[in-house]
Parts: sequence; C-alpha cells; structure tokens
Amino acid sequence: MTGVKLIAGKKLRASFRNMEFLLIVGVFLLMSIVSVYIGSTTKNAEMRAYESIASSAANAGTEIPAAPVIYSLAILKNLVEYIVMIGAILAIFLGYDVFQGERQGGTLRLLFTKPIPRRSIILGKLLGAGLVIGLLLTVTLFFNMALFAYYTGVLPNFEETLRVIVFLGIAFAYMMNFYTAALYISIKTRESSYGFLIMMVVWIFISFVVPQIAESQKSYAYAINNIAGTITQVPGETALSNAIGWLSPAVQFKFVGSDLLQTVSETATIPLGRLLVAEIVKMIYLILPGIVLALLSLREVEKEGTL
Amino acid sequence: MLLAEHVSKQYPNVVALDDLNLEVPDGAIFGFLGHNGAGKTTALSIFSTLILPTSGRVTIQGLDVVKDNLKVRGILGYLPENVSLYGDLTVRENLRFLGRLSEVRKVDQAIDETLDMLGFSQWSESKVKILSKGMRQRVGIAQSILHKPKILFLDEPTSGLDPEGSADIREILLRINAELGTTIFMNTHMLSEVTKTCTDIGIISHGKLLLADTLKNIEMQYKDCNSLEEIYFRIGKGDAE
Repeated sequence: MTGVKLIAGKKLRASFRNMEFLLIVGVFLLMSIVSVYIGSTTKNAEMRAYESIASSAANAGTEIPAAPVIYSLAILKNLVEYIVMIGAILAIFLGYDVFQGERQGGTLRLLFTKPIPRRSIILGKLLGAGLVIGLLLTVTLFFNMALFAYYTGVLPNFEETLRVIVFLGIAFAYMMNFYTAALYISIKTRESSYGFLIMMVVWIFISFVVPQIAESQKSYAYAINNIAGTITQVPGETALSNAIGWLSPAVQFKFVGSDLLQTVSETATIPLGRLLVAEIVKMIYLILPGIVLALLSLREVEKEGTL
Repeated sequence: MLLAEHVSKQYPNVVALDDLNLEVPDGAIFGFLGHNGAGKTTALSIFSTLILPTSGRVTIQGLDVVKDNLKVRGILGYLPENVSLYGDLTVRENLRFLGRLSEVRKVDQAIDETLDMLGFSQWSESKVKILSKGMRQRVGIAQSILHKPKILFLDEPTSGLDPEGSADIREILLRINAELGTTIFMNTHMLSEVTKTCTDIGIISHGKLLLADTLKNIEMQYKDCNSLEEIYFRIGKGDAE
C-alpha cells in the first residue's frame, strides 16, 4: 500500500508541475465558466422570448401560452459537451505516456527492482490520476455552483446539489475510462506517439463518428410555433439510432448527464433516486470499461515482456 | 551470498543462458565479462528479479529470487545501464521517492549520508535533467545504496563516461564495498576497470559461463599471459574452438 500511495503522490505532484497539463486544466475551467454563462444567457433569452410572446398574446386577447419550465441546473448543460471533448483529452494526456515514459526513461527497471509488487505501480498510477481528475472535477463543481448561485441568485437545493454530485461522479467514471485506456495502450505499445495516436482515434470515434452516425438515424418531427412564426425540428430516437448509440460511451454519457442536469423536460422532474434506477444500465456501461481496462493493465504488468 | 544453480533462459529463437552455475561470495566485487549478446544482462536481470529463469534456481542470502522476490528486492540495489531518473525532480526528490519505495526510514538523513559518501551533497537541490552523465550515474548509485543493500547489481556502470568519470565511479564502488560491506556484481566490458576494482571475475560467452574465480587465482592460472585482456581473449578463443 505504501508503494501505491508513493506512486500516486508522485503522479499528482508531477501532473501539476506539467505546463501542458495545466494549460488544458485552465481551458477546462474556462470552458466551464463559459458553459454556465451560455446556459444562463440562454435561460434568460428564453424567458424574454416567452414574456414577449405572452405580452403579444395578452394584447391580442388570445390565450397566453404556458410559461416554459426552465430548470436551474440546465444552465450547466454545456458541461456535458466539454467533458466529452476536453475532459477526455485531459485524461488521455494524463495517461498516454504514463507507462512507456517510465520504460523509455529507464525508471521502470528501477521501480521493478524495489520491494513493491508490480501491480502497485499500476494501482499507484490509477490512484494518482484519479486524484488529479477528482480534484479537477471537484474544483469545477465548486466553480460552477458559485457561478450558478451568481447567475440564478439562489443556492441550489439539496436535490439539485445531489444531482450535480452524481453528474460529476459519472463524469469522473467517463474520464477515467479514457485514462485507463491510455494507460493500457501505454503498457502495450513501445512508442508514446503511437499510444497517443491510437487514443486520439478512439476519442474521435467515440466522441464524434458514432454520435453523428446515431444522429443520422433519428427520425424528425417538426413543431410549428404560429405566434413566433418558427419551425423547430424535434429529433426522435429510433431503434437503430439507439443501438448505434450504445457503441459510444459519449452518447450514453450525454444521455445520463442531460437527465441529471435537468435539460430534458421528460426526466427533469423525476426524483433522483428513481432516475438513477432508470439509468442504472447506462451508468454501469459508463463505469465498466474503466474497470475492465484497469484489470487488464494489472494483468499485463505482471508479464515479463512488459520491460 | 549469490548462488546460481543450473540457470537457463530460453527465448523463442535464442538460448540466452545455458546451464549457468555461479557462486559469488559475500563482500566480493564481481566483474562479469562477455561480448555483446553473451548473456550478461540476462543473467543480471534474473539475479535482480526483473525476469524469470526458464529453469534453475538463484538464491541471494538464501532467499529464492523467484519465490521470495519481494524480500530479495529489499536486500538488493540495482543500477541499469543509462539510467535517466526523473529529470524534472531534484536529486533529493528522486532519492526521497526511490528511497521510500525501498522502505528507507529517516530517508532525508539517509540521503544526506549517502550524498556525503559520494561527494555529491552540493547537487542535492539540482534538477536531475541538468546534470552530466557522470553526475547522473552518481545519483543512480546513490538511489541503489540508500537502503544499505546486501548486494548491488550494476549494468555497465562506467558506460559512456570519460576516464575521470570512470575513475570516480571506481572509487565510489570501492568505498561502498569497504564502508558498507556490500557485495557488488557488475557487468562490464572494461577490462581495465575490472583489474582495478574487482576481486572476482566471471567470463560468459554465448550464454555459457567459461570461467568464474578470484582474479588472483586466474592470474596464477594464466601466468604466461601479460594482461587480463590476453587471458580474456585466450579463454574466449577456447570457447570458439
């Protein structure tokens, strides 16, 4: 256990000394501020549009449409996209060179001759990265809650706070999937650049290619707003788009994240407990790859060829 | 101290070690000589628990390197060829990290004592990446002896060093052996270093041990040879024939 903690501590300190990593963290935090700003301005714009429509309707003596229900947490909705994009990149950056770097630098041989089991090295790397990602998401949580309070004028209630915590837990699992994949690839490949390239292909496939293919298989209905004079395209899931969506953790993370942050009206009012039960399969799907890849990494490091 | 019995290491297309039998006594400075690809690094990797033998048994202080590998690692020190260490950390940070992994108690005190012994204290707060190869080699040796190991494995410790650097390392190894009583096992090409440093030598060729004895006995046995180099080539030629 001492070896695990030592290696994790070193990983944590090394990460925050790395300028490139700090730059990505800065971008991530900046994007979360932007996310809240965009969310709040969108919310305000929707309310202003409604007030204008309601005023016109009142003047015309026609029925005033019901006010849109906008949930406070929805101002955080863009966080989902930023975690899919930048969060995944950050995790890949943490992991792509973590093992091969030690191998190339000759320090792996030193670590393997210390009186610690080889698996401690992997467990230490996992714990260290988990601490980095957890710390980053915790800082993001506080940032966003402070911004939430600033823009809405209210503090989130208990249910809303729990939803955000669960969301960040799922975001943690999502990012750790990319880290453990990068770690495993780093053990298997002998060139850091190949490992990085492979992970970028994986990221593009999961984050863009599969979601776009799934999107293309949706059916579309059209909602006409006579008062505003607008036509809104309303996508609908099909069996095929759903099936394709299961090939991408990004798609499932977006589903779960959107539900947790109350951006989907159908699920926004469902109590958190019931929502978690309904989403359990998706959540297992988001947690499982990281566990499997971690176990594969632990097995791989015991092999002689690892050196 | 170190006892290798019928140790073999077979890879798919090559026999790296072929029935190696070797005994290194306590307190010896053992020089392991051989051409490139002879099996020196393979042997050292097995002894230092990095890889498993295909067959045979190795014990260090009675501990089996396979079955008791964690205990063996607690009593050995290891320095690979061309060690880079963690460049962005200082000398002290490197030693503190590696020392704690070796379960060194009062690690900062141990670091101070070791750096004093190696004449390197003034560099303790310098980042490793700015150090010269010779200095990095000293830091590498420092991390390998922090926990006062019973045996120290070194793979080509003077490789790439200038004559002054090689002389420094030689002096350091002699001091470690004398002050700490550590047995030293080193792979080397440098015959001149062997004659100045080692008490015992072994010569390996194509995975087979050709000779292992004290330097004095070998010199007595090959009285007609003028240098260790002559002895080495004669023994090697005998193998080729």
